[in-house]
Amino acid sequence: MPTEAIDPPGISWLRVSPKYVTVRLVEWAFGNLIAVGLLSLPLVFTLVGWWDWVPRWLAITVPAFMLVLAVWRLVLIPRQVRAIGYAERDDDLLIRGGIFFQRTLVVPYGRMQYVDIGVGPVERGLGLCTLKLHTASAGTNAEIPGLPADEGARLREQLSARGAARLAGL
Amino acid sequence: MTSENAVTSDEAGPAGGPVGGSAPGGDAPAGQASIKPDGEWLRVHPASPFIRGWVALAAICFFFGRDIFERMLQGRPLMDEMYSGRVPFLIAGGGLVLVLSVLGFILTWYFTRYQVAEGYVRVNTGFLFKQQRQARLDRVQAIDIVQPLLARIFGLAELKFEVADAGESAVRLAYLRIDDARQLRATILARAAGLEPNPERPEEALPEAPEYPVLSVPPSRLVGSLLLSEQSFFVVIGGVASVVLSAITDNRGFYFYLIPAALGLAAAYWGSFNKGYNFTAAISPDGIRLRYGLLDTQAQTLPPGRIQALKVTQPPLWRIFGWYRMQVNVAGYGGPGSNGEGASRTTILPVGVLADVMRMLSLVLPDPGTPDPARVFTAGLTGLAPARGTSPGGTPAAGASSGGTPAAGASSGEPDGGFVTSPRRVRLLAPLGWRRNGFTATDTALLIRSGRLWRELVVVPHQRTQSMALHQGPLARRFRVADLVLHTTSGPVSPRLIQSGLDEARALFDAQAARAREARKRQTSEQWLAQVAPEPVAAALAAATTDSADEVPSTGSTVVQPADTPSAETPSAETPPDQSDLRENPDHQQAPDHRPKHQEGPQHG
Repeated sequence: MPTEAIDPPGISWLRVSPKYVTVRLVEWAFGNLIAVGLLSLPLVFTLVGWWDWVPRWLAITVPAFMLVLAVWRLVLIPRQVRAIGYAERDDDLLIRGGIFFQRTLVVPYGRMQYVDIGVGPVERGLGLCTLKLHTASAGTNAEIPGLPADEGARLREQLSARGAARLAGL
Repeated sequence: MTSENAVTSDEAGPAGGPVGGSAPGGDAPAGQASIKPDGEWLRVHPASPFIRGWVALAAICFFFGRDIFERMLQGRPLMDEMYSGRVPFLIAGGGLVLVLSVLGFILTWYFTRYQVAEGYVRVNTGFLFKQQRQARLDRVQAIDIVQPLLARIFGLAELKFEVADAGESAVRLAYLRIDDARQLRATILARAAGLEPNPERPEEALPEAPEYPVLSVPPSRLVGSLLLSEQSFFVVIGGVASVVLSAITDNRGFYFYLIPAALGLAAAYWGSFNKGYNFTAAISPDGIRLRYGLLDTQAQTLPPGRIQALKVTQPPLWRIFGWYRMQVNVAGYGGPGSNGEGASRTTILPVGVLADVMRMLSLVLPDPGTPDPARVFTAGLTGLAPARGTSPGGTPAAGASSGGTPAAGASSGEPDGGFVTSPRRVRLLAPLGWRRNGFTATDTALLIRSGRLWRELVVVPHQRTQSMALHQGPLARRFRVADLVLHTTSGPVSPRLIQSGLDEARALFDAQAARAREARKRQTSEQWLAQVAPEPVAAALAAATTDSADEVPSTGSTVVQPADTPSAETPSAETPPDQSDLRENPDHQQAPDHRPKHQEGPQHG
């Protein structure tokens, strides 16, 4: 499908680290494999012969559907990670993400209340971190995952400095 | 902003020590609070813990009293014989519980003290676990005076001080005498506005700012609005459904399901009526004043510029009478779901006609940023793009130009108030809404309208935009449209521009970021009396909407002063040019004469 980006033209996006794919893969494995495994249990039980009240077609279709869904998500992960981007402009930070459901977010530096950096166990192993911006609005939800640790630290300092310089009230 | 920290050592003396306790607070009885030297620690009214805890007291009395009372009525001995030996113990036990709770009340009251000084309001509470809280006065988002029925009987009131922390109120003082509460509100608002106490006579209390009524909602219209509201629609549907079901199935049981539903609905109707009764809005230099309530009354004060976003809605049935409802996001009030009172606190007009809406808009948005506000806002409320042909959003060039240059979309001469609606190709996606969903930008605010049946107009001042996001799903991509979401503080308003053409949305995204940036640069001070003149512009807009535009210069008074102060007389450099023009004509006596003009609204409503 030809996709046209919704973000304003003429912006050079910085991409997140390709290693973030690994983080997403681990998350995917935790979520989807467990779900598929659990949903396959009725099929196993019927095959072994412990259960006989589950219709065979139901026992097959439900985990199969979940499996297809999981594989679909798996295929999308690298493209989703490539779609994440951010750009520092003079007065605001742009964050984009998503392939099917695209989102482009602009956060003015003067509106930032604080900046978070979070590191999960897998991210720590790969030397990555997640940067999160908070404004007075709960709906902002500005997150840049998969940043290299030094880039995250640099961005945090940069954003804090720019936020202090352009601080506005509510 | 709200700090809850342990009491520091120098504060512990007056708060906890028996010597300090009598020193600063004991000198001044709470009753003489109308004359307050700066920085004095005060207590709330002594009766307040009993009014707050009357439920607990009543429960205790009920628990111990009911049995005895019943026995007295039946002529039996007051106690069972088997208990009679233990009567003294039981009475002593009950008395002990009573005494302990009363003692607790008294201690709570004794250790709750407040102070307004040096730009802060401070409240100390607790005697086992002490809490000292201070909130900056210039961070005030709203001040409410609430009078529950019982407090109202005793002439007391609760004062709530809101800062931008969508949780609980930063400061709740329950209860003060109603006069003291008003006085404290005036003091806080004056200090927050930047008025300093008179250095020669610091003990002189600041007078309350004068206020002028703007509109009121007659009870008949309130009842009518409730009857025609959305919930009535579901009542009728539910009633018809249950009658039909019981007729078909020949089962009378369905009627019994209606009883709890009817009770719940009656409670909901009563709640809305009780909250919305006698709604009055007034303007004063320290902000918009709202008063309402039948049994429990509430008086809200919203200082200028505290409203983050606003929406005007019209349910389908209200269209018969041309009624509208207005709700706002205020940082301190939080979301509507947080508690029951949230919904009424964020409603700045429960029901009103178009003239009322325009009047409230002129208060909330003193500078509409467009030469013809009446036309633009009316188009936002009721307008509809032409079905075919010259839709402004039809060609990317028109959309880009109106989105790219500020206020170009609102310039006069364009059809439909300058609203840029969804392109014609969206009519398959939104067959009803595509001519309605649209936006326009004035110099000061972004207007987003939507809804063909449930009409809605959202207004977000440029300087209140927190962040923005463009959203596009797969279906929207096929139609080359995108949604623009503006993020604002939590509340009933969630601004979202639906299905705007991709080029228009992209242009708006860029232009809006630039506009918000410019607006933020203009907004400098939290102390509003130094820079905002709500009166003249409000009067000007109200005059414009009532077709008496020639009176605009004469209504132009400067800020009506609560006291003679230097701060407000010096126009700041940030004042927009149209306001400074009005400032050239300081006509202090004119403003009250023109006030009655604003009261015409409710009658022709």
